[in-house]
Amino acid sequence: MQFLRCVSQISRNGGRLFLSRQLDSFLIANSSHLLGDSTHKVFNRRETYSWSFSALHGFKQQIHHQSSSLIEEPLDPFSLVADELSLLANRLRAMVVAEVPKLASAAEYFFKMGVEGKRFRPTVLLLMATALNVHIHEPMPNGVGDTLGAELRTRQQCIAEITEMIHVASLLHDDVLDDADTRRGIGSLNFVMGNKVAVLAGDFLLSRACVALASLKNTEVVSLLATVVEHLVTGETMQMTSTSEQRCSMDHYMQKTYYKTASLISNSCKAIALLAGQTTEVAMLAFEYGKNLGLAFQLIDDVLDFTGTSASLGKGSLSDIRHGIVTAPILFAIEEFPQLLAVVQQGFDKPENVDIALEYLGKSRGIQRTRELAAKHASLAAAAIDSLPETDDEEVRRSRRALVDLTQRVITRNK
Amino acid sequence: MQFLRGLSRISRSGLRLFLSRQLYPFPVANSSQLLGDSTQKVFNHKETYSWSLVDSHGFKQQIHHQSSFLIEEPLDPFSLVADELSLLANRLRATLVSEVPKLASAAEYFFKMGVGGERFRPTVLLLMATALNVHIPEQIVGDTLAAELRTRQQCIAEITEMIHVASLLHDDVLDDAETRRSISSLNFVMGNKVAVLAGDFLLSRACVAVASLKNTEVVSLLAIAVEHLVTGETMQMTCTSEQRCSMEYYMKKTYYKTASLISNSCKAIALLAGQTTEVATLAFEYGKNLGLAFQLIDDVLDFTGTFASLGKGSLSDIRHGIVTAPILFAIEEFPQLRAVVQQGFDNPENVDIALEYLGKSRGIHRTRELAAKHASLAAAAIDSLPETDDEEVRKSRRALVDLTHRVITRNK
Repeated sequence: MQFLRCVSQISRNGGRLFLSRQLDSFLIANSSHLLGDSTHKVFNRRETYSWSFSALHGFKQQIHHQSSSLIEEPLDPFSLVADELSLLANRLRAMVVAEVPKLASAAEYFFKMGVEGKRFRPTVLLLMATALNVHIHEPMPNGVGDTLGAELRTRQQCIAEITEMIHVASLLHDDVLDDADTRRGIGSLNFVMGNKVAVLAGDFLLSRACVALASLKNTEVVSLLATVVEHLVTGETMQMTSTSEQRCSMDHYMQKTYYKTASLISNSCKAIALLAGQTTEVAMLAFEYGKNLGLAFQLIDDVLDFTGTSASLGKGSLSDIRHGIVTAPILFAIEEFPQLLAVVQQGFDKPENVDIALEYLGKSRGIQRTRELAAKHASLAAAAIDSLPETDDEEVRRSRRALVDLTQRVITRNK
Repeated sequence: MQFLRGLSRISRSGLRLFLSRQLYPFPVANSSQLLGDSTQKVFNHKETYSWSLVDSHGFKQQIHHQSSFLIEEPLDPFSLVADELSLLANRLRATLVSEVPKLASAAEYFFKMGVGGERFRPTVLLLMATALNVHIPEQIVGDTLAAELRTRQQCIAEITEMIHVASLLHDDVLDDAETRRSISSLNFVMGNKVAVLAGDFLLSRACVAVASLKNTEVVSLLAIAVEHLVTGETMQMTCTSEQRCSMEYYMKKTYYKTASLISNSCKAIALLAGQTTEVATLAFEYGKNLGLAFQLIDDVLDFTGTFASLGKGSLSDIRHGIVTAPILFAIEEFPQLRAVVQQGFDNPENVDIALEYLGKSRGIHRTRELAAKHASLAAAAIDSLPETDDEEVRKSRRALVDLTHRVITRNK
């Protein structure tokens, strides 16, 4: 059983081993062909379990199918790409260097070590890149195949970097709009360096993202990410300028949530697919994955804002409602208790209204129904991955499993 | 003489007349092929002098060379493109108003920029587009492709305006200290939010528009322009007192804040037209030098206003602690002025002291000289463009050269 658990199909390239669960954190990553020699060094220093390479080349014990998790080794999707992420983080820091010192420190602010946030988006994109990896079957001289593969990989990594820049730029502006004091556990940039610098830094990041985007020389990809920028602004505008009627509409809310949260990840997943030369169908599946994952993520975020790390209500930060932002749980509660509508329309400047709303929420199935909706989107995301064209490549399969795993993590997380 | 003055070479397309000086404000635009029928109607309504169209086709009396002003009909560069500009302005206005009703105050700000202002940037870009117009011999195919190219170039002009206004809005964002000092701080806070959001809206529209041109080099150019705007503004906000007294720092900041947008969009116009790198660089150089000349004169006017004399201008730069070229030149002659500048201008006496030194110095004069130098570099760039027989193209080039003069002779 131990043996079965530990051994997985050796990939065609032959040189990689999938080590056991104990070595979960050691990455025999998709990035091994980029890391080159260092992979071997990693093997030498860190192997606890080891198998001879040569004899296993033909060994094709298929342990599991794509989505069964019974005897699969447990995956940590984040660690599958951790090395690559560090590479990206360094490149990103280099990309946001500015001439003017104040601008430089502002632009780098959220890319500093330790402040990078959950690295959620880049993780998804790198996994997606591998998941859509089309192998060249003809025995090409190894150099050429690898070069093309590495070049594509670099371009896809660039999408991940661009996505982060756009994301952080929008955070910087949102914090100015929200008068936020903190972000990611530290002072927000506007708080620390002033509103104007925060706004300018956001613009700077956006312009850098555009330059990087242009360098990919793919106009469809440029279009996709330009659309994302527009959606982010539209979503923020919708949030800031909604009428009280719109604020109580689930349609308006889902639309806004798509614009503000899911569009970035859905369109960048699609961009990854396009760069990989995939068909329109596959690109759409990548898009659907990103979209549904993003929506599920946000819905659970809404729940956690009420419940925090406990299952019970009112233990969360309640920051949405205190800022007058009406989210899915409340919208569901209004469907059950129409009298809540009046309270919501009054607004939440009065703390009593917050308490009243919480009371109704507690009596309603609002939290439950939001979780259900999130689960529905999560499973749509998983279904998109399962609909991808079959593959024998174990790396590709592993990344796809990781992507499916993420859909579960997104809805079961507590923070 | 009247005849010579009134008559100009009939262009190949045959159907246009260049009307005489008396009809000066009347735009016979490059846009006639876009306006189609209306041009004919316009001819019927407004001609005072007219010449028969039919047998003038072969008439090739060359009245002037590209940059001689003696017997040329005077051009109003702005009216050459006025119709097209209205088209663009309406398109932009419609977009802004319909999509974001609550950002009306920002929209108004945007309108104010257009009305009264000369719509300088788009004028330059549309003229540049014609000036670089490479003719396609086959007429029918030519018109469609030409119209399509024109639309794309107009798009650059729209994008440039969106970026310009977005940067103005974001530059106006106030910091907390400033918001608290105001009496009605809520207004300032709301003003901030609207400024940020409206600027973002314009930037995002610009992104989508530039993506639709499907030219990644153009995307790069305009992204760099945005980066430069931000860098320039930050340079202005965060300079040390030593940097503030440096002419080099000042020229760099001025390039970033004022000239980069127009130089890079001129270059973009050239790239869209399929021009060579050399021509694209000439277009860039024109924009850059024109922009620098413009800003230097702006600096002078802030001191002199509509008069030649000092102190009649709004003095808003110096009152905001912004040290510009005239003062920097004055410091070279009177090092003691440096100490005053480094003290800053919160103290109004320092403004008076600085003005005194400035008056004694050749600061204003030297700034004008520098502006003239850049203006003539700009004109030289146009004169270096590949020769052409096309009268429309020549007219636009003359207009561009004319602009370089207007920029340095203007009083406001």
